[in-house]
Amino acid sequence: MTTVIPNVPAVPTEGALAGLKVVDLMWVVAGPTATRAMADFGATVVRIESANRIETARGIGPFHDNAQGPDHSGLFSNMNVNKLGLSLNLGTQEARDVLLDLIKWCDVLTESFSPRAMRAWGMDFESLKQIRPDLIMLSTCLFGQEGPLSRVAGFGTMGAAIGGYIALAGNPGGPPIGPYSAYTDYLSPRFALPTILAALDHRDRTGEGVYIDQAQAESSLHFMSTALLDYTVNGRVPEQVGNADPAMAPHGCYAASGDDDWVAIAARDDGDWANLCAAMGMGELTCDDRFADLAARKANEDELNGIVAGWTAEHGAIEIEYMLQAFGVPAQAVSNSAAAASDPQLQHRGHFIQMEHPVHGVATIEAAKGQMSETPPDYRSAAPSIGRDNDLVLREILGYNDEQIAQLAIADALT
Amino acid sequence: MLLTPYRVLDLTDQRGMLAGQILADLGADVICVEPPDGSSARAVGPFAGDDPGPDRSLFWWAYARNKRGITCNLDHSDGQALLSQLAASADFILESDDPGVMSARGLGYDNLSAEHSDLIYTSISAFGQTGPKASYASTDLILMAAGGPLILAGGAGEAPVRVSVPQAWNHASGEAAMATMIALRAKSKIGRGQHVDISAQQSVAAATMSTILASSIGAAETARVSGGMVVGPFMGRLIWEAADGYISLTFLFGSGIGPFSQRLFNWMYDEGECSLEDRDLDWIGLGAEFISGQRPLSEWDRLMGVVGEFLIKRTRAELFAEAQSRSLLIVPVTSVDEVADSEQFEAREFWREHDMPGWPEPVRFPGPFVKLSDNQIEYRRPAPTIGQHNAEIYAELGLDAEALNDLRERGVI
Repeated sequence: MTTVIPNVPAVPTEGALAGLKVVDLMWVVAGPTATRAMADFGATVVRIESANRIETARGIGPFHDNAQGPDHSGLFSNMNVNKLGLSLNLGTQEARDVLLDLIKWCDVLTESFSPRAMRAWGMDFESLKQIRPDLIMLSTCLFGQEGPLSRVAGFGTMGAAIGGYIALAGNPGGPPIGPYSAYTDYLSPRFALPTILAALDHRDRTGEGVYIDQAQAESSLHFMSTALLDYTVNGRVPEQVGNADPAMAPHGCYAASGDDDWVAIAARDDGDWANLCAAMGMGELTCDDRFADLAARKANEDELNGIVAGWTAEHGAIEIEYMLQAFGVPAQAVSNSAAAASDPQLQHRGHFIQMEHPVHGVATIEAAKGQMSETPPDYRSAAPSIGRDNDLVLREILGYNDEQIAQLAIADALT
Repeated sequence: MLLTPYRVLDLTDQRGMLAGQILADLGADVICVEPPDGSSARAVGPFAGDDPGPDRSLFWWAYARNKRGITCNLDHSDGQALLSQLAASADFILESDDPGVMSARGLGYDNLSAEHSDLIYTSISAFGQTGPKASYASTDLILMAAGGPLILAGGAGEAPVRVSVPQAWNHASGEAAMATMIALRAKSKIGRGQHVDISAQQSVAAATMSTILASSIGAAETARVSGGMVVGPFMGRLIWEAADGYISLTFLFGSGIGPFSQRLFNWMYDEGECSLEDRDLDWIGLGAEFISGQRPLSEWDRLMGVVGEFLIKRTRAELFAEAQSRSLLIVPVTSVDEVADSEQFEAREFWREHDMPGWPEPVRFPGPFVKLSDNQIEYRRPAPTIGQHNAEIYAELGLDAEALNDLRERGVI
C-alpha cells in the first residue's frame, strides 16, 4: 500500500541538516537539484521566485495529466519539494531589502543569474562579506563569473553541446544526437553540493566565509576526463560510436518483440559470451571462430549483432532481462517511465514518493538518491506555488509585522 | 583547503573513484587502497600511447589525482586486520564492491562501526545493497537502461544510444560525494557516523530530467527525438545544422526563452531572412496562442523551418560570434579537441598539468571543478603508482621496512 505524505510547509527541525538556512535564487535544474538535496535532509531552503518572470522549469514537462500551467510541471514539482516559496520582485528596492534581510539570516546563499546581476544590485560576495563575513555563497552558471564567454546566458542543453557531450552520443557517421536535454545540469550539482558542505564545515572551524564560482561547463568535464586525456595524451579525438564498446562485444540495445521495446545486453568477457550463447540456445556459437574472443567478436560485430537481434526480436525485453541475468549475463530492459514505475528494484528502494498536492491531489516525486542509515530524508511539503510561503517566511523567519508586509505589497515587492 | 582535516580510505575501483576524487580535490587526505597487483581501474582504457599497463590507464590518471596509494589484500586475514587498524584513523570509507563482499571479509559497515562509531561508510553499487536486482550483472549500458536516461536518446523508432564515454558510475560517484558530505554534517548533530548506500540505477535517473515521473503523474511518455526534445505538444529542436557542422540553439517561447527567440528573429529580420510578422510575434505569449488554438501548431513547424534555413547558410563560428553580441542561445556542437583548445577554458586558466611517471611530457588535465575565494582546489599530486605510499602510511601503524617486507612476501600488501 502506498502512503501519501501530507503537504505541510514548515521550517524543519529534524534531519541531518536541520538548522541549516539557505536562500536559493537558482532556477531550472542544475541549482535546484543541489538545494533539493539539502531540503530533503532538513535544511530550511527559501526559494525565491517572481510571477513577473515565470521560472523556466514550470514550463517544462512532464506535465500532470498532460495539462500545462505553472503548477503542472512534474519537473518543477520534483526539483522543489520541501522548499519554501517566497515571491519577490527583485526589480524593486523593497524586495531587494527583503533579500538582504534573508542574507543576514542565512548560512548559504545560492544564485544562478548571469554574472552581472548580483553585482548590479551590490550583492556580489565582496559587498555581502562586509555585512556577513561568514557567508557561504555559490554562484553557478554555464561559463563562470569571468572569461570571454561569461556573459553568454546558457542552459544545460548548451552546456552539453559546448562541453563535448552532444558530439559523443550518436551513431557512427550519423548526426550528433546527444544525451537527453540539459545534460550538464545533471552533473554540476554533484560538484556544487559537496563544495557547499565542505565550505560550511570549514566555516564552522574557522569562521571564514567562502565564495564558490562554478562554471557548470567546467565541472561537467570531469565526467569525460578520459576522453579529454585521450586527446591531450594520445592526440586522438574520441567520437560517437553508437552503443559499441572497445572492451565488450556483443554490447548494444537490441529490439525486443514489443512496441518501442528494447533490451540492453553486454558481454564483458568470453564467459559472458558463452553464457549468452547458452541462454539463447545457440551453444554451437561458442565454437564459432568468428566469435572466439573479443578481437574476433569486434571484427565480426555486425554479424554478431545480427544474431543477437534475431533472437531478441522473438522475446519481450523484460523476459530477456530475466533469462540472461539468470545466466549471469548483464541485461536490462531499457526502461521508460512506466517500466521504471513498476521496476521491482526501484520499488524496493522507494524511489517514487507520493505527496499530497493542492492542485493535483497527489504528486509523485523522486526520493533522495542517497540512502542514509541514521538520518533518512524527510518529505514535508510539495513544491511551492508562487508565493505560497510568503507569510511563513516574512513573519516567522524574518519577524515582519502586518504593517511591514502591507508596505511591501503596496510597493509591488511581493509579486 | 576546505577538507584538510579529514582522511578517506578509498576502496573503490572504476565503479566509484570520482567520489573520492571530489573529496581529494577539496583537500581531504584520500588514500586509495588497492589489491597487491593494483586496482582493476588501472586496466580501464584508453591508455597512454595505447600501451596498456598499470601506470598508463588514463582512467586511473584522471580519477586517482590528489590521492595517495597503498596496497592491501582484503581477501587475506592479515590484510583485513590492517584495514581495520587503518579505519581507526579514517573519517570516511568509500567502497564499490558488489553488495555483501565487504561484509564477507569482516569489513562491512557493521563490523567497522562497532569499534569506530564516528565512521562514515559509503557503499556505491549498481542497484543498491539489497533488493531483487542487487546481485544483477551490470555495466554502464545496463545502468543507463535501468535508470531511464537511455530510452530518451536516439532517433525516433531507432535504437536508443548512450554517451560513448561511460557515465553511469560517475553519476553514482557524484551522488556518493553529496551524501557523504551530508553525513559529515549529520555527524556533528547526531554524534556518530552512518552507512550511506548509493545505487547507480537511482543516480542515473537524474539524467532523465524528471521524465521518469511521466507515467506516475498521468503524462505521456517522453518521445525519443534525435537532436531535440518534446515540450508539451511542441517539438523543440536543440541541434541544428550550420554550414560547416552542427550548433545547439535553444529555440522556444515563454518568459524564459522567448526573449532570446525575439532577438534571434530581430537578427534574421535585419538580414532580410524573416518577415516583419514573424519578427513581431509575441515570443513570450506564443505558447498560449498555440495551446488555445488561436494559432495552428503547423505554424510552429513553419517557424522552425525559417530558423533552419537561416542557420544552415552560416558557419558555426559566425553564429557563435553573433550569439555573443546579440545574446542568443547558440553554441557550437563541440568536439573533444575543440573543448581542449577552447579559449574560454584557457582564459579562465582552467587546465592543470602534471608530470606522469613514464610519460615524456607534462599531461594536461581538466582543472578545478570550482573556483573558490580562498583555499583553492590544488592539483597536489598525480595518481599514485601501486603501493607508492605503503611505507609512510603503514609506518603510522608502527610497521617498519622489515615488517612490510614480510607482509609483501606473504601477499598481504
